[in-house]
This record gives sequence, C-alpha cells and structure tokens, in this order.
Amino acid sequence: MFLEVKDIVKGFQSEHVVKALNFTLEANKTLSILGKSGCGKTTMLKTIAGLLDPDSGSIVLNGVHINDKKPSERNIVYLYQEDLLFPHLNIFENIAFGLRLKKLSNTVITERVNHMVKSLELEGQASKMPNQLSGGQRQRVSFGRAIITEPSLLLLDEPFGSLDAGTRKRMQVLFKKLTMEYQITSLFVTHDLKEAVLMGDKIGFMQKGRLKVYQSKNEFIKDPDTGVQHEIAFWDELKVNSEQN
Amino acid sequence: MKRYWKPLMLSFLVLLALFPFAFMLLLSLMSGWQFPEVLPAYFGLKNWATIFTSEAGLLQSFLISIIISLSVAVVTTISGFFISRVVYYHPQSKVLNVLAYFPYILAPVVFAACLSFFFIKLGLFGNVTGVVAAQFLIAFPYALIFFSSFWNQKMKSYVDLTATLGGSRLQTYTKVLLPMAKSMLLVCFFQTFLISWFEYGLTSIIGIGKVQTLTIKVFLFIKEANYYYGALSCCLLIFPPVVLLYFNKRYIFKKIV
Repeated sequence: MFLEVKDIVKGFQSEHVVKALNFTLEANKTLSILGKSGCGKTTMLKTIAGLLDPDSGSIVLNGVHINDKKPSERNIVYLYQEDLLFPHLNIFENIAFGLRLKKLSNTVITERVNHMVKSLELEGQASKMPNQLSGGQRQRVSFGRAIITEPSLLLLDEPFGSLDAGTRKRMQVLFKKLTMEYQITSLFVTHDLKEAVLMGDKIGFMQKGRLKVYQSKNEFIKDPDTGVQHEIAFWDELKVNSEQN
Repeated sequence: MKRYWKPLMLSFLVLLALFPFAFMLLLSLMSGWQFPEVLPAYFGLKNWATIFTSEAGLLQSFLISIIISLSVAVVTTISGFFISRVVYYHPQSKVLNVLAYFPYILAPVVFAACLSFFFIKLGLFGNVTGVVAAQFLIAFPYALIFFSSFWNQKMKSYVDLTATLGGSRLQTYTKVLLPMAKSMLLVCFFQTFLISWFEYGLTSIIGIGKVQTLTIKVFLFIKEANYYYGALSCCLLIFPPVVLLYFNKRYIFKKIV
C-alpha cells in the first residue's frame, strides 16, 4: 500500500483526540473522510503531515517510515480551509512558491506555472494580486500551488467549506480533473455527506477520534452511523409528500 | 456661507499648528533680542555656523543622538520581532505580555533610579553603551507589544503551510514572515527611533551629563536661558523625525492602506 497508518494515537493533555488510527490507501486514490466538527479530523491530518507529533503509532509512505521526518521533508502538503495565499506575491509567484523553495530553474518554473494557470482556468490572472480574485479563484490558486509541487500525498482539510454551493460544485469537478491529471494521492476531509461520496474513491467515517474506512460505497451507505440512511429517508419522505400534494 | 468659512478655518488652524515651528526657526537665526526692541540685534546664519564649531558641541550631540537612536531602533526592532514570536508560542504568553507593560508603569526617571545600581556595577554609567542599554529597556517592551498582534493562528498556518510545501526554517523567514511583516518592521523601527530620540529622563540619569544627546542639550540651553541655541538644537531635533515621517508616509503607510 502507498500509505499505511498504523495505530496512531494523539492526545492533548489527558484527552485522546485521535484513537488507534488504522487505514491504508493505494497510490493515486482519494480517501474522503466524513466527520462532524471536533471529531479529530484536523488533528489526524496534522499528525500525518508532521505538524503534530503522534503519541504512538507509525506512518509509512511509499514504503518509508516518516514519523521522524520533518514536515518539510515528507513531501506531504496540507491544505487548509482558508486559501492562505501569500498577500505579498502575485498569482504567478503564489503558484510558483513551492518550486522556488526547491530552487528549480526559472525556465522550468515559468513553463510549469503557465501550464498550471491554464489547468486552473486562470488565464490572464497570473499578474494579479490575491486580493483581486474571488473566493473560488483564490481556492483554485491554493490548489495549484500545492499540486504543482507534485506531493506524494495531499491532505485537504474541508477545502470548500467557505465556498458557496455553485462555486463548491465547480471546485469539486476541478479537483477531480487535477488529481487525475497529476496522479495525486489524497485524503479529503469534509463534513458534507454528498461531497464525501462524490470526492472519494474510498470513504471513511470519523467519530470521537476513531476512523472507520469502508470497503465499498454501498457499505458506507448502509451504515446507520454515517447518516446516509437518514438523509435518504428525508428525501424520500419529501418526495412522497410532494406527490400527494 | 458654510463652504466659504471651511477653508479659511482650516488655513487658520494649519497656521496655528505651524507657527511654533516657524517661530523656532526664526529664533534660531537671531541673537540679542532684548525687550522692548521690536527687531533682534542680529538676524542671520551665525548660530547655525556654530553647529560646525566645537563651542556648542551641537554637531557632536547630533551625531551621538543619531548613533544611539539608530542602535536602539535596529536592535529593538530585530530582537522584538524574533522574541515576540517566542513569547507567542510560550505556554505563559499572556503573563509575559502583561510583564512587557512593566517599564511603562514607572516614570522613566524612577525606572532609571531603580536601574542605576546595576548600571554602576556593570560599568555602564555615564557612557553611550549604558544609554543605549537603558533606552533599549524602554523601547524593547514597546516592540514586543507592537509585534504581538503579528503572531496569530493565521500566521502559524502560513508557517505550517510553508513547511509542508518544503520550506526550511530560514526560507520561512526570508520568503514569508519577513516580507509579510515588512510594513510593521518599518513602523516599529520608526517608532522606537522616536522613543529613543526624544528620551530625556533615563538618558539624563544613566548618562550623568557625560552623554549629551540633543534632547539633553535642548534642556541645557533652556536652563541657561539661551533661547537662540535652544531653538537651534530644537530645529536639529526635529530634522530626523521629519525625514523619517516623510519616508514613512511615502513608502509605508501607502502600502498599509
């Protein structure tokens, strides 16, 4: 398996936020993780990214134990809900940021950034500053900045949480397109049921620090804990009511 | 009627604000103006020429003041920026932030009196190093409080993001934190320079008259009723802040807005 997370435990003071985290993920696949606020999703992602040290357990990425590696050496990019574009850099330089850190040549950077700008459908916006873009455009730049560095693993922490429904839908399509084009392996955390089903090749459900990864979407749908059955019942009832009226 | 009075009133207020400065400049060009004479006995550049002579020691004071203020501003801004980050991540950050206000609870003269024993023991009494150290103790907490607003959860997210994008600690500073803090660094430099430039109480006690900054000189001239030299040193005293204010307004505030 490309990513193997074994018995990860993480707590703050006496409280265990993440309890015995165990899951695996194949390369170039997306595992979407559904969970309510405060269930330990962010702590789990930050632990995998190396921004928090786990109390116990191990993380193996592409056959390498990465527990002792610094975040900058893991090649795992963690994306926040906020776009976090650097306000002092224009769009081109924001996307090029990770490549500049790797000290690639200007020719390579220009070529790759221009291609990314095109993929993000942001032609003609490269010289603008972040405050001149809309929320959706900013989030696209944030994606591009992460994906262009070709991370081994991309961690997304409710990336569309602050977007309106229309923009959110467009971003979901764009994300699918980009992960396929750049062959990205990712963990996609969300509290939106529909988004979790749409975005993931596999689906997990996190509750009180414990993660359950389902073998198939059907298994996820049938599990009463996930709330899918409740949602289906709600829409069925609504449909019946509207037909009766 | 209202539209007619507005610019007139504004002009009057501007004139009123500028009058003391203009009068000070005129006073620095005079000598021998005794009551009831309407005009001074001399009006020219004689007083200004004394800047370059050792008689009044104004050039020396001006240079000492520049050296002291630049040293205080540079050391305070740099150390304040880095140490404020340490304070933000410290488990007792709230207590440390409250402690930063301590030097401002006491009057500078009282504060200097409290410090004098330690300064004597350290051999810092009556020399430029001592005055720089004393002024640093006043300016540093200001920088600490000033930069405390820069460090927040969002800034931590920027730092974490840079790390996951492959940035080293040095790259995080050079490519993210310092460029993002540029305006604040310049404003802090300007403010701490002014704190040091106009500082009197601490300087007079720690410097014990041996370190004669321009501010000390102004008070000396006024005490000996030498208004012309007093005005002249005031003009010199105002010059660097005006230059800094010009640069601040032109290059920094514009960007902040």
